[in-house]
Amino acid sequence: MRQLRLYLEFSRKAFQRSAAYRFDAWTRLFSNVIFLFMWGFIWFALYSGKGDVEGVSFESMLSYIVVSQMLQGVHGAGTPLWEIQERVRTGDIAMEMMRPYDYPTRSLFSDFGNIAFHFLTAVLPLYVVLFALFDLQIPTSMSQWILFLLSAVLGYLIRYSVELTFGLLTFWLMETGGVEDIFYFSISLFSGSVIPLWFFPDWLETLAYFLPFQGIFFVPNSIFVGQLTGQALIEAMLMQGIWLVVSYVILRWVWSRAALKIVVQGG
Amino acid sequence: MGIIDVNHLSKQYFIAKRQEGMWGAVRSLFHREYITKTAVEDVSFSIEAGEMVGYIGPNGAGKSTTIKMLTGILVPSAGDVTVGGLVPYRERQKNARQIGVVFGQRSQLWWDLPTIESFELLKQVYAISDQQYRKNMDTFTEILRLDEFYQTPVRQLSLGQRMRADIAASLLHDPAILFLDEPTIGLDVVAKERMRTFIQEMNQERGITVILTTHDMADIERLCKRMILIDQGRVMYDGGLSKIRDRFGKSRILIVDLEKDTQLQVQGAELIRSEGNRKWLRFNREEITAAQLIQQVSIQADIQDLSLEEPEIDSIIRQMYEEGLSVG
Ligand SMILES: Nc1ncnc2c1ncn2[C@@H]1O[C@H](COP(=O)(O)OP(=O)(O)O)[C@@H](O)[C@H]1O
Ligand SMILES: [Mg+2]
Repeated sequence: MRQLRLYLEFSRKAFQRSAAYRFDAWTRLFSNVIFLFMWGFIWFALYSGKGDVEGVSFESMLSYIVVSQMLQGVHGAGTPLWEIQERVRTGDIAMEMMRPYDYPTRSLFSDFGNIAFHFLTAVLPLYVVLFALFDLQIPTSMSQWILFLLSAVLGYLIRYSVELTFGLLTFWLMETGGVEDIFYFSISLFSGSVIPLWFFPDWLETLAYFLPFQGIFFVPNSIFVGQLTGQALIEAMLMQGIWLVVSYVILRWVWSRAALKIVVQGG
Repeated sequence: MGIIDVNHLSKQYFIAKRQEGMWGAVRSLFHREYITKTAVEDVSFSIEAGEMVGYIGPNGAGKSTTIKMLTGILVPSAGDVTVGGLVPYRERQKNARQIGVVFGQRSQLWWDLPTIESFELLKQVYAISDQQYRKNMDTFTEILRLDEFYQTPVRQLSLGQRMRADIAASLLHDPAILFLDEPTIGLDVVAKERMRTFIQEMNQERGITVILTTHDMADIERLCKRMILIDQGRVMYDGGLSKIRDRFGKSRILIVDLEKDTQLQVQGAELIRSEGNRKWLRFNREEITAAQLIQQVSIQADIQDLSLEEPEIDSIIRQMYEEGLSVG
């Protein structure tokens, strides 16, 4: 309980700090919107002259892109991989290691603060307008909203665990950029952030199904646009839950190893 | 058993050799060569509760590496460390509650927050009671004049202010042990003195055990009865300060700026450096006084300016090597 108060304090501080760097939030949002339009036009072109593709209408697809871009806007406010690398590079990781708290948890709670600020001041207003302006599909029932939110939160936690795990590999591979490339490649392809898994060739879809990444964007996006319902929805969310547990356990294991391995630069 | 026990402690760093070219990069994926750098080698000492010990040595001696192992940030390559009965790297969080740490080269405060908010965050981090927090803040503010920069973000503080803030921050949770890694580095004379006074007070009035690393002899002379001298990762001397000073601290350096470049012929002193009109003369103050030396020089040339230097720790260590002696 006392611990939770401590971590929430970091959320609060991160929220305040974000307020001091408002400009960052707006530039991030700007690039987010650029990408939204880019993907919108690409899908528009791909759909031109066709009705449904794989049983999905253009309207659904567009909604998928918009909600996906919205979630990515939220995710963008927390960057655990970049942060851990930066802390190791500068040696500031030492300051985190000599505190009576757990770094992965405190970093997560700091991100909650960043996200809350970014969401309330930038992402939410923009996307409310977008959803109102364009006639897009949104959840039609309360339960669909709740399932979407729950799934989106699970997705965020999965990404956090996987991303920080990749970031911690920096402890072993101090000067190689390869680790992060693997992460960024995998998340952009397998998470369904821009291409829904239903458009994948079968073998790739099967592969994606057995990776944690699809739980990050694909599942909540699909719930949002109504492509995932009933039995399939329950299975998908169960899968998200399992992936969260697995990736969290791996994160803890890698962290405990990394903490012994750490070499602090400077001073 | 002291409050801090260090037994045969060693630390090696492995530095990956960079391989040349493309082929090298590919090869390094499979096989890497490392250079081993021994930063701390077979160091042992024991420190009693309430002691204030100077951990002293030239740059690169292994001081920071030792401190990092005592704080639990680094895992030893060999040997044992216990701090307040804990093995720091195994019980890092528990250890964190009983120690305070200041790294002179790096702030522990949150860069973008106003100073006071960093303190408030630490209050939460260490679950410090309102009463304890207020009491400590009052004391520290009075001695260190923290109120001058409460609202200033840490990144905008001067070095002196930052050190004051940092040392106050390290003591907020009433740690039993304080590690100070170069707490006076880069500070001006006034700021150094203020820092030393504060450290001394915390040690004497609160009984906090202090380990202080520095390469500034004046810090040690002012603060520590005991010093542990290390060089190239090894303990060269562990004991009282007076013995070292008597033995090696007798030399002084006279720096003179002459009117014009002159070949000086002085007795009882050695010309150790010469840069144009500026000359460095080393002498033993038991053999010749500064006044006698200055007189000798002034006969041969007009002196524009002069200053006297106490031996730096580096030169003391060099002297220890030259004379092939170890004390203690
Ligand atoms: N992270 C590191 N990687 C490799 N070598 C290091 C690292 N940190 C320190 N060293 C080396 O170990 C030695 C001791 O360093 P350090 O403990 O920082 O000395 P001091 O604090 O006494 O100046 C130095 O030779 C330094 O170059
Ligand atoms: Mg150092």
